[in-house]
Amino acid sequence: MEQRKVTEYRQSAQDSSFSSRVLNVAARTGYLLLASGAEISRVEETIDRICSHYGVESEQAYVLSNGIFLTAGNDREKSYASVRYIPMQGSRFDRLIAVNQFSREVVRGKYTIAEAEKILKRIETSPGKSDRSQILASGIGSAAFCVLFGGSLRDALCAFVAGFVLYVFVLKSRTAKKSKMVTNILGGMLVTTICYLLRSFGPGENLHYMVIGSVMPLIPGVTFISGLRDMAGGDYLSGSVRILDAILVFLSISIGVGVVTVVAFSLLGGKML
Amino acid sequence: MRISSVIAQLAASLVGTVAFSLLFGIPKKYYASCGLIGMIGWGAYLLFHLWMGPTFSTVFATVIVVFLSRYAAVLMECPATVFLIAGIFPLIPGGGIYWTTYYLVVGMQNLATKTGYSAVKTAAAIVLGIVLVTLIPQRVFHFLGSRRLRRNAS
Repeated sequence: MEQRKVTEYRQSAQDSSFSSRVLNVAARTGYLLLASGAEISRVEETIDRICSHYGVESEQAYVLSNGIFLTAGNDREKSYASVRYIPMQGSRFDRLIAVNQFSREVVRGKYTIAEAEKILKRIETSPGKSDRSQILASGIGSAAFCVLFGGSLRDALCAFVAGFVLYVFVLKSRTAKKSKMVTNILGGMLVTTICYLLRSFGPGENLHYMVIGSVMPLIPGVTFISGLRDMAGGDYLSGSVRILDAILVFLSISIGVGVVTVVAFSLLGGKML
Repeated sequence: MRISSVIAQLAASLVGTVAFSLLFGIPKKYYASCGLIGMIGWGAYLLFHLWMGPTFSTVFATVIVVFLSRYAAVLMECPATVFLIAGIFPLIPGGGIYWTTYYLVVGMQNLATKTGYSAVKTAAAIVLGIVLVTLIPQRVFHFLGSRRLRRNAS
């Protein structure tokens, strides 16, 4: 049964419209994976698997951290080319998991190409977590990390406020398509300012732990770890771009925090904080 | 270190990891495992820290986090990255980077160099930990996972 299905695919792969549909599905799957923050090897493997399952054998994929080049064509299969630019953006692990499940099921022979297209469409349009819950999570996460690094409960309360306001700002600037560096510098400044104010006029006790906790939502953990895994898998180009991206974000946050600290430091006449 | 502060830190790492899982868009059904892995990672760090320096504690804690992530990935049929990134967050030297910046801008070069150096060492320790566990072939995790799944079925 399984064998018959595969032969069917093989025959229809020579039908040009079928093979371009398969390649489209593969390209869109790769696009989704890359945009959700997957490693390069996972993207390449998934594209290969989908194509070979539906019997398209001449496919060649080249994946970078921000783009996919996919071509196909030989004496039996029609030519196909697709180049897509995929800007690096926030991680969407829900999509990563859904696509992973989808590609497993495709390989098990669960879907015809029409069904696969339908499911892909559903994953593409699936909504993320609501803004409200993200903002709340940022606040709670900030408070928790504040405690983890040694802050008291009153510090945690302040970190909650700072992390909360920070994410309102991050989501606003994400929809306004502001540059990532600017967002991180301003985010670092915003958080530090709030923490200074809350320490001077609010319940805060230890400024340092408050700031450390509430900048955590900005820390580019996903980019950094994916970059490392790319490097470990031999994708040096994409790995170094991702690690550089992470380092620049780290630097931007530091600049933001540093600027406010300098101002506060000179306002207080060089008194240690 | 006092017991109460250890408990507070463990609770904080659990809550923090779950909150950040939400920020990354991880679906609800994985929250528990992400949070547990984050908490075990931080607990391991605290434990190792009794005997060794922060760098080696981070290496071993990372090894444990990555190992558990790959194991959970087999059990729950989902990419290991999901658990790994959430679980490793408490180990990321966010504090080290803050102190480096702070000492730099208040003009304490010596301390800035010291904390900066130790932040870089911590990052390198995470890299080392991840690479060490990557060397274990996937077969091992499939073997462990299938045994566990079979025991649950019977």
